[in-house]
Amino acid sequence: MIQVKNLHHTYENGREVLMGIDFEMGNEVVALVGQNGSGKTTFAKHLNGLLKPTEGAVKVDGLDTREHSVAELSGIVGYVFQNPEHMFFEENVFREVALGPKNLGLDEKEIEERVKWALKAVNLEGYEERTPYSLSGGEKQRLAIACILAMKPRYIILDEPTTGLDARSFESVAEAIGRLHSDGHGILLITHDMELVLRLAERVVLLENGRKTFDGPVEEFFSFDLRSYGLDRPELLEIGRKLGTGFVRSVPELIEKLSGEGVDGAILP
Amino acid sequence: MAQFYRERDSFLHHLDPRVKIVGTILGIAAIMLYNDPTILIPLFFIFLLIGVVLGKISVWEQVTLLKPLLPIVVITIIIWPLIYKPRFMGVLFGVSFSMRLLTFALLTFLLLATTSQGDLILGFVKLGMPHEYGLTISISLRYIPTLYRLAGTIMDAQKSRGWEVEKGNFITRARKMTAVLIPLLVSSLKTAHDLSIALESRGFGASPKRTFIREIRMGRRDYMVLVLMVVFFVLALYARYGLDLGHISIYPR
Repeated sequence: MIQVKNLHHTYENGREVLMGIDFEMGNEVVALVGQNGSGKTTFAKHLNGLLKPTEGAVKVDGLDTREHSVAELSGIVGYVFQNPEHMFFEENVFREVALGPKNLGLDEKEIEERVKWALKAVNLEGYEERTPYSLSGGEKQRLAIACILAMKPRYIILDEPTTGLDARSFESVAEAIGRLHSDGHGILLITHDMELVLRLAERVVLLENGRKTFDGPVEEFFSFDLRSYGLDRPELLEIGRKLGTGFVRSVPELIEKLSGEGVDGAILP
Repeated sequence: MAQFYRERDSFLHHLDPRVKIVGTILGIAAIMLYNDPTILIPLFFIFLLIGVVLGKISVWEQVTLLKPLLPIVVITIIIWPLIYKPRFMGVLFGVSFSMRLLTFALLTFLLLATTSQGDLILGFVKLGMPHEYGLTISISLRYIPTLYRLAGTIMDAQKSRGWEVEKGNFITRARKMTAVLIPLLVSSLKTAHDLSIALESRGFGASPKRTFIREIRMGRRDYMVLVLMVVFFVLALYARYGLDLGHISIYPR
């Protein structure tokens, strides 16, 4: 359980970014949304101790982030940064993924097992000898996830995991994240990508100017007029509403609902 | 370079950057003429005074800027008497050479403290430096804070993988820094590449003749200062070679 109580954060230059946030999450998929500058990243950096609260407290599985280093917390809360290239420096994919487990002080056999498992989880088997920088955008993103995954953190924070990816890469990343959730990881998605939120999130937290203004189920979130928050409503929801299928998360789900129940008035092939 | 600049409203600040650049070069050349501490020490204080009166840079600020040179000054004063006999003359030379160094640095600092980065580069370009070089210098200076921030982000990303730079001895720590240096290098090279494409697509180098948004023009005051400086320099030359002042022979004949 991640517990955040009355979190305030003021940067050294005096800018107050977070103003009293209460938050809790377990093994669920939470989407953290909000406009640029609303404090999303600042908030997320508190969860693995990269930033320490100015006021209030953050506890991950009972550990106070103020009393533990980022390295100690990295085995519990993983943070996948927005630009995967900001972390690659090893000569091949295997060594890149192995870095985290090595830092945790695991033995070689365990490290090898974890690397294999992590690469499998993100569908990058057989890439062990490739150079990280030679991968495509989607592959780099998945490798970045694998690097964190190999440390087996209970919670994973993903910062804009689908920005700049084409449709196929989006699909592969979304699939990888979905699998992590079914394996029991708690996931926090920081994103502007409403397709991704619709597809994966169970709960949405909205930040506005350093304050939490919404925290509830994804269905309720999408019933709002999102344009007033500078966000787009996914077209899929509109289609589902017109066809009378109600809330659907993906095209396959839409098709299943349409063909299974036979919705009145819907034209089927 | 940017951190040397002190925004003030002074005579030196309003002087044309070309005049200040030429003045600095002449000043340094004048110092090189003498090795007699009885001339170099007063010269140092004269320039210090010029900085205070004409540049509105306080003595304290100037001394702070010179502080990093202290180790070199101390070493110079200690080493000269060790290698030069008689000892007393050695001390004298040690003092005069460190005075030379300090005045040299002081003049450069005064130029940097009273001239904004943009003006300085413009001055050099107007004095004949190719503007590509000017652009290169200003872009590299502009990117220092960006790189600094990027290094912070990369360190955060690596810390999230359990990486700790503080642990271990010097060699392990140095090796650990590759985790930051490689991503930093790759990102910088990519930025440089993107930047060159952006410059070219905006027509950089399309015409051999280039105009400037900000033009600098020499006013009457600038010419007067320039003439005055040249006169002083000629006087300094005359004092050294005509009157044979201010030079002590190091190697006895």
